[in-house]
This record gives sequence, C-alpha cells and structure tokens, in this order.
Amino acid sequence: MIDRLFFSSLSRRRLLTATSALAFAALVTTMQPSPAFSADTPVEGGDITFLIDSLGDTWIPNNSAISSFQGHIWGHVTDKLLYVDADGKVSPWIAERWEQNDTATEFTLHLKSGVTFSDGTPVDASAVVANLDIWYAGRKKEGINPIGLFPKTYDHAEAVDATTVKVIFKKPTLGLIPTLGYHGSILISPKTLAQPATDQADLSKTSGSGPYVVESWKEGDFVKLVKRKDYNWGPAAVGQTGPAHLDSITYKLVSEPSLRVASVQSEQADVAYNASPQELVTLQDDGFTVATPRYLGFVNGLAINTKLAPYDDVKVRQALQSGINRQEIIDTVYTPDWKLATSFIQSNVPGATDHSDLLAYNPEKSEKLLDEDGWVKGADGIRTKDGKALTLTLHSNPYLATSKSVDELIAQQLGKIGWKVNIQAYDVVTFGEKVKYGGPAIPAYEVTRSFIDAGTVAGILTNANNGENWFALDERDAKLNELRDKIAGAASIDARAPLLDELQKYILEQGYFIPRTQIVQRIYVQSPKLKNVTYNGIGYASYYTAWKSE
Amino acid sequence: MNSAYRAYAAKRLFQAVVVILLAYVLTFVVVSILPGDPITNVLRNPQSGFSEEEIAEIIAAQGLDRPVLVQLWSSLSAFLTGDLGISMRSHRPVATLIGEVLPSTLILAASGLLVALVLAVVIAYGTRFLPKRYGQGLLRGFPSLFLSVPNFVIGLVLIHIFGFQLGIFRVIEPDSFWATFFAAIALGIPISAQIAEVLIANLDHEADQEYAAVARSRGLSKARLFARHLLKPSSLPVVTVIALTIGELLGGSLITETVFGRTGIGSLVQRSVSTQDLPVLQAVVSLAAVVFVVVNLIADLVYPLLDPRVKLLGTPQRRPVTADDNSSGIPTAVTS
Repeated sequence: MIDRLFFSSLSRRRLLTATSALAFAALVTTMQPSPAFSADTPVEGGDITFLIDSLGDTWIPNNSAISSFQGHIWGHVTDKLLYVDADGKVSPWIAERWEQNDTATEFTLHLKSGVTFSDGTPVDASAVVANLDIWYAGRKKEGINPIGLFPKTYDHAEAVDATTVKVIFKKPTLGLIPTLGYHGSILISPKTLAQPATDQADLSKTSGSGPYVVESWKEGDFVKLVKRKDYNWGPAAVGQTGPAHLDSITYKLVSEPSLRVASVQSEQADVAYNASPQELVTLQDDGFTVATPRYLGFVNGLAINTKLAPYDDVKVRQALQSGINRQEIIDTVYTPDWKLATSFIQSNVPGATDHSDLLAYNPEKSEKLLDEDGWVKGADGIRTKDGKALTLTLHSNPYLATSKSVDELIAQQLGKIGWKVNIQAYDVVTFGEKVKYGGPAIPAYEVTRSFIDAGTVAGILTNANNGENWFALDERDAKLNELRDKIAGAASIDARAPLLDELQKYILEQGYFIPRTQIVQRIYVQSPKLKNVTYNGIGYASYYTAWKSE
Repeated sequence: MNSAYRAYAAKRLFQAVVVILLAYVLTFVVVSILPGDPITNVLRNPQSGFSEEEIAEIIAAQGLDRPVLVQLWSSLSAFLTGDLGISMRSHRPVATLIGEVLPSTLILAASGLLVALVLAVVIAYGTRFLPKRYGQGLLRGFPSLFLSVPNFVIGLVLIHIFGFQLGIFRVIEPDSFWATFFAAIALGIPISAQIAEVLIANLDHEADQEYAAVARSRGLSKARLFARHLLKPSSLPVVTVIALTIGELLGGSLITETVFGRTGIGSLVQRSVSTQDLPVLQAVVSLAAVVFVVVNLIADLVYPLLDPRVKLLGTPQRRPVTADDNSSGIPTAVTS
C-alpha cells in the first residue's frame, strides 16, 4: 500500500523535476571548493623525488654551498641569517633584526632564541661567529676554501651575548646584509666546522639547523632528506615558520636529461631539474609546471676587452651594442619565460634600472657608426679598415648549455652588418685555462654570474681591491673609477641608488658590456600535484613550504 | 697444486705487480700533463668569485704547486704502503669511495657476463640444431648485429619499453632487481656476440669430428649431443675470450651505469675523469689492472682443468703447454 501510494504520487514531471534538482545540487556541491582537497590547503605528509643532473663534487659546506646542484640540498638542511626573496628583498630569518653604524663598517645582528642545529648545539652568537670566520678565511691548507663572494673587507666578529653578534669591517661594506641571505652563507654546527675536511666531506656527519636532515646518502647517487619535526624557525617571508609539510625529499642523480623529464612525465618522479628549454612549451601544454626563476646577478652578456683593437674604439663597441637582436635570441633559442635584458644586471636586482632604450636593436645605427668610423664593406660583406677585417671571436661559455646556440645566432646578426664572427667552444677545463677577462686573444668574455649586492658590481668591473677588471681598463677610465669609489663609500641604499643608475647607463653607452638576455640558470619541470614551491633570490626551489595534492 | 703451478703463479704475480705499478705511474703522467686540476677547475668557475691570486694561494696551501716528480714520489710511496690517498674532488678517502661503488659494478658485471654466456650458448645451439625454417641462418647473423649496436642504444631502448611503457621497473631505482636485469641485458648483448662467434666456430669444428659422428650414430638426441659431447670442448677457447672481455665488461659497465643511472665504478671514473681527480683515477686504473691480470691468470690456470690435453711441465721456467708442444713461446696455456 505504501509502495503504491509512493509511486502513484511520483508523476513523470515530478520525477524529472526531482532528478534535475538532485543533479543540480550535486553539481553545485562538486563545484564548491572542498576544504580537504583545495589547492590552497596544505596536505601533510608525502614524499617527493627530485631528479638532478649532478650532485657536485665535495660536500665540504664551504666548498659546495654555492654549487648549482648541492645548493638545493643545503637550502633544505641549513638556514641562513637572513632571507633574500626572488626580488632581492632582505627579511629576517635566524637574525630577527639588525643594525649598522653610519659608515657601514659595524653591524649588530640579533638572533632568534631556541634555534638548534640537528646535533643539538644551539644556534647562538658563538656559532654564528664560527661560521663568519670560516666563510671569510676557510682552512686553505686542509682544502676548506673561503666563500669567494664573502666581503674581503671583513675584520672580525664577536659574540656580545648569547643572541647578539657584532661584525666589524675594515671598510664600508653595505653588501654584508644581502650576503647573509646568499646561498654561500649557510649556518653549520660548530661541531661540524671543527671536524677535519675529510669528515666535513661526509654529508652524514654534517649538521645544519634547516627544516630537513640527511637520512641517508651515497656519493654521486642520491641524498634522502627527512623532515625535522621540531623545526619552528622558518623565514616569515615565505609564510610559514613551523615544520615542513612533506615527509621526505630524495635528490636522485639522473644524468641523462631526457630520462629526467620522461620520469616526471610517467609519474616516477616529481621534479626534473635542468630540462632543455626547447621542451618547455610542450611540457607546459601537457599540464606540467615549468619554473624558470631568475637569480640575482649579471645578465648573460659579453664583457668587452677595451685593450684589444678594434674594441678599443667606442664606435665599434656601440655598433656591437645596437647590432644584436635580443628579441630574436629569446624567440629562437629560448621561450617567452626568458626576459629581455634591460641593463647589464638582472631586472629583479634591487638597484637595477631600466635602460632598454640603449639596448634596442638598430642595425641601421650600427652600419652608420661603422661607416663613420671608416669600416668599409667588401664584396664578401665583411667590413675592413686599413686592410684589417672586422672580426669578433666568441668563446661559448661551457657553464651555459645554450651559449653556443646564442653565439651562432649573434654571428648571423652581426654578419649582416659586416662582422666576421668566429665561434670557439672549449670544455670547462680548457675554457678556465685559456679564456680570461681582458686576455690577449679574448675580445669578449661571456658572463654568467650571480652576485649578492649591486654595490659590489663596480668593484668587480674595475681593478680596485683585487677587482676583476672585466674591460681591461685598468685605471684608464676616470669616470668609471669615480663611480666605483662613490658606490663603495655610500653608507646608505638611498645614497647609492642614483650612482648605480648612472653606472649602468655609462657602461651600456660605452659598450663595455653587451647584454644578451636575462639569465635563467635553473629550470624546473614539476608534477602538477606539487603545490606552493617557493624560489629564493638565487633561483633555488624550496620544498619547505610545498605539499603534494591528493 | 704442484711446484710448477706455484712457480708459474709467482711469475705471473710478479708481472702483475709490475703492470699495476706501471699503470699507476702512467695514469699520473697522463693526467698531470693535462691542463688544470680538480681544485683549480672548481675555483675558476666564475660563480666562485676567486681572483687569480687567491686561487694561487689555495693551490700552494695544498701543495699542488710542487714539482711533478715530488708529487709522484709522495703519491707512489703512499700507494706502496696501501694508502690510496684522498680524493682531490670530494676530499674523501679513495678507498671509501671505491668500497661504496664496487659492489654495484661487480653485480652488474657478473650479471652482464651471465646474460652474455646464456645468450651465446642459446645462439650457438640454435645455429647448430634449430630447423632451417625457424631461422637457423638468421641466428648466425645475430653476433654481427649485436656487435654493431652500441650498448647505450640497447639500454635506452630497454628503458623506454620496459621502464616507461610497460612500467616493469622504476627508472629512478636502478639497483632494483628488474633494473639490474635489463642493465645486464644491455651490457651482456654486445659481449655475447664475441663469445657466440667463437662458440659457433668451435661447434662447427667439433660437430665434424669422428666422436660426434659416433655419438650421433648411437642415436643421441641433438640436445644431449650438444650438452654432453660438443659444448665442453667447444667452450675451451671461450674461456680465453671471457678473460679478454673483462676489459669490455668494465668499459661497458661505465656506459651502462651512466644510461641506467647506476652508481658504480663506471660513474666514479666518469666523474673523476671529468674533474681530473688523480688519486681516484690512479686507484681505479690499478684496480682494473689487478682484475685484468688476475682474471687472465685464472683463465690460464683453468685451462688444464677443462682440457686434459693441456698440462703444465714441471720446472719453474716451464709454462702451460700442450702435451705435444715443448717449444718455448708465449707464456699462456695453449691447446693442441
């Protein structure tokens, strides 16, 4: 009876209406973000595998901290005093605040309390002093190198009390603060630092204070990191200070690039490092996350040797500057993830200013400059002057895989203007031996170089204070030297900014530095399940904040 | 073991020591004349930010600016006391580095050899006894085919099909059973070709012998004839071929390890060559010399056991010769 009443009351129209309502309700329910599976809700637990093309050489912290490969592991096992984000902004980390005197020769760092290394040693003032000392001096006889980019003006550091460190310099050193967030400046337990080099080279004997600890490793094979559950001192700038979400990260060496990418595509791994730029568009189309963070440093470009004819002639250098089609480099060799150079330093560096107008492609201007300078085009299209051909030898940088392809494109572009461009590719060892800034047969040195603080740039370009004298100018350019000295002596960022702007404009106008493109040195192809990865100022991916979605 | 064996073994051991020392010194000379060294190469990376003066200071602090002969003497005297030194690249003891990777290479090399042997025997059997309609002639072409395909190509094809397409093994776990199995196949295929060629030629020869005809006339099956009568005499030269392929196994394992992502002696050598890590290279070359000499020695000593026609004569000067060959000559076992 009940059944009959039920079915008799359920007319076809009612059934249709009820079904539609149910379907609509189901649709609305599924469309609403479910808290458990929302992309913004961290998922605790999970393991990821990061495929990498090398695990570097030694694991001595000082010698390996800036490695493009080992830097990934150090970034998870260790902390730094300060955090530098992708835009070069400095914020507190282990040092919760800091002060400096008016002449930028004395800095006081105030440390967080309660921070410990994984061996139980506190991260206190004496531990920080031990780290500063070894960054500056290393222990050269044992094979522990100093950190190359740590300020050479360092005098000493002292522990004022358990959480206060005073750092003293011989000369103004505005660069200290960003240096403390640089990848070389990793905090290591004093117990580890006291060990001989052979023990420091054993990763399992090294203790940092980072969100992960080394569970196991095999040289040239893998490093497995596991979460440190009591970690509670992350940098606030990344939006998280407590323990990491992922249980473990395994860095596994797979030297064949296609295998790294194919492993991520087949879900056998979560991240492939250093994929080929040409593959990126397809991978993005297939739903994989592609990250190409830029580091803080110089753009990829050519430092011109002004001692070598014809590059001692400003008009030839200026013709070179306007004779390169940088957009074509990005369109041909790279993808839209690469950015046009706007100066000779990357546009995300604090203090970098936009001088795109000086880098516009203008072959007519180049031709005019060369014509005015007496370079005459021959029947073969090569320009000559006083019987000498207009030549340029490019030495492809072995540290950048795409360097030779860019050189070949530049050779074509300059060939149209009348240049004869020779390309010479060496391996890393021969390049190091034969190709040097201002070398007798090196008209242009291809730069790929990060730095910590734009204030150090002027010193690198000239020969002051053991500078690298990139343009072989020695002391010949009074204006450049004046800018260098003013920048080095500036006691505040505000006072330094207009000087840096002037320096950039001057270098580009003079054609001392010929930018190619902004540089992307680290390429990540990631599983779409991996969420909330952060990138610091050196372009390293941090999985401290990351999680794996269901 | 009689006195002839002992004298023979002592002589070969002395030769082995000389070969190992020569390999050690030669490696030092070859690597030393190349430009650069592991420490300078790292320091010269523009990212390191060191000036030439700082680099020179670090090099001097580690004694790398000493005369080459002084460096050779200090390295050689340590080696003679059993100290393999410290890796210039990783700063870890060389003995530790080799100890970490050696088991993986030994497993791969042994599995590769096993695969090569099985394949060679199967091919050789097939060429002799497989009916023509099932491709007997085709099998005879296999050794040439196997020799002409590089093992890295075989490795990549196997990874693609069995790793990615069929998912039988995870590419990122190269030490798993199935990954090792397929790596052994990639390594073993080219080596099987050499063994198969020798085996086929000897099988053809032995099958024409009278004793084989007698066995056949007694109604022995093909499989029994192969296993009981033909295989043993045909395998004798195979022992020499196996000993000679040890070098190829080591060389092949370098490539196979790289393709499959295994960490073994091959990958250690690869890293050491690319960074000019002299102490590791010297130790590995010496180790390879030891393996090569020992394996060849074993092959010579196994000969008389496999073939009763081969015997050692009883004085220290004598060498393994066949019963009907008493002339002096190359100091290895020979057959009649």
